[in-house]
Amino acid sequence: MHDFLPLAHVGHWLWTLYVFPVLIVIFSIVKTTISEKRKAKRDSQRSTD
Amino acid sequence: MPFAHALVAREDLPIPAWLFAWGASIILIVSFFALSAAWRTPKFEDGNWRPLRAGASRLLLGLPTQIVCGLAGVFLFGVAVYAGLRGTEAPDRNFAITFLFVTVWLGFPALSVVVGNVFKPFNPWRAIGRAVGSGFATIAGQRPARLAYPEALGRWPAAIGLLAFVWLEVVYSASGGVAVGVSPHTTAVAALIYSSYTLAMMALFGVEKWCERGEVFSVYFGMFSRLGSFGVRDGRLGVRRPLSAATGWATVPGSAAVVIASIATTSFDGAQEGAFKGGIESVFDWLVDAGFGLTTALRLTDTIFMALCFAGIALVYLAGVRGMETVRGAPPLPKLRSGFAHTLIPIAFAYLVAHYFSLVVFQEQAQFTYLLSDPLGTATTDLFGTASGGIDFTILSANAIWYVQVGALVVGHVTGLTLAHDRAVAYWGDYRQAARSQYWMLAVMVAFTCFGLYLLSVANA
Repeated sequence: MHDFLPLAHVGHWLWTLYVFPVLIVIFSIVKTTISEKRKAKRDSQRSTD
Repeated sequence: MPFAHALVAREDLPIPAWLFAWGASIILIVSFFALSAAWRTPKFEDGNWRPLRAGASRLLLGLPTQIVCGLAGVFLFGVAVYAGLRGTEAPDRNFAITFLFVTVWLGFPALSVVVGNVFKPFNPWRAIGRAVGSGFATIAGQRPARLAYPEALGRWPAAIGLLAFVWLEVVYSASGGVAVGVSPHTTAVAALIYSSYTLAMMALFGVEKWCERGEVFSVYFGMFSRLGSFGVRDGRLGVRRPLSAATGWATVPGSAAVVIASIATTSFDGAQEGAFKGGIESVFDWLVDAGFGLTTALRLTDTIFMALCFAGIALVYLAGVRGMETVRGAPPLPKLRSGFAHTLIPIAFAYLVAHYFSLVVFQEQAQFTYLLSDPLGTATTDLFGTASGGIDFTILSANAIWYVQVGALVVGHVTGLTLAHDRAVAYWGDYRQAARSQYWMLAVMVAFTCFGLYLLSVANA
């Protein structure tokens, strides 16, 4: 009976492919911002030491 | 029957539609890094204004030209209203619908970008207001008294008017299938109501003031004219660096609402029978079950989704601005909020081109053939011998439309990104900090690009 792939409704999830680039950019921004803040903190600690 | 989007199914593309969104995002990211590395001083804040010859200004801005253009505007507006009141009720056969909703509404943004704010001299309400004002001054020997315009209102009346105009077109008159579903009679009545309101506001606050702040079409077309090279300063025609005039546009309150309303209404129009179709049907069924009539339920549902579009676009923009605020040396939030609103103008234009390019190409064939010769659509007149003309739908292939849509969105968003980076360099001074502040605007631009391409891919499928 079920010898086919259940792909009839896969089109409903096509929008996720359009969200990927946005998520990748947001993830990169968050990662970069955190690492820049850590670096700035380390630098300020070094200068006080 | 003229359809708004994709008359025929798209042929096979060389790559899936969603990969275009990935490609567009990569172009934006590369552009961002190129701007970060190479764009170190603001280039648009000083417009590099150069006045044209005095003769050109006299010819194009002089009183005779103003009178001729004003008369032409009033005449054409009158023809559209008359056709709406007396012509056929078939929207696609009546001059009023295509003229007002396609030729004017979609034609003037493109014209404004290319040759400057050409709507101003053709604006029928401005022409009538100025003529009445001059008549009054001649008879009374003094200029009419004016109320001071409440500056806190800014361009909010225009933003609300813009939403109301599109609401009338795509929500109140939603019919599906036809390019513009609103009936000619409704359009003519709405035009007369709007004319009364506009002339009353002009009498209260002054013709030019109302055109700058509250007159929907002047504000809307004027916004797009800021992207181009031609403008008027101190009564002289001149040339400036393209995009530079946009930098000073959003200083008036409510300007961000105007440009966001433009993007939101275009998005909603593109999505209502595509990406939002399932959601709209669910809410519609729920409202009908709750006891609303079919027409009320449909209008209420569409209104909710249009409002959600506005809120969603506003939220994405505000998120980008909030992100900028976290960068060291950032100006206060209100300054950021208004200071970057102009970066959305190219996006609004790109959305217009992407969503309506094919509609304009098809409908303008009707405008300049059978609608011009038989404006009432009654098949009783043939003024220019073109009443038997028609629309050649093979003039554009579905794939060509798709490539124009993708190109418009990419160019529009890269332009927006460039304007944002330029403004950031002006605000932060240091180009490295400016680049940091633009991380979030990059996310905004990628989000708008992917959203736009998703809407179009579903609408064209």
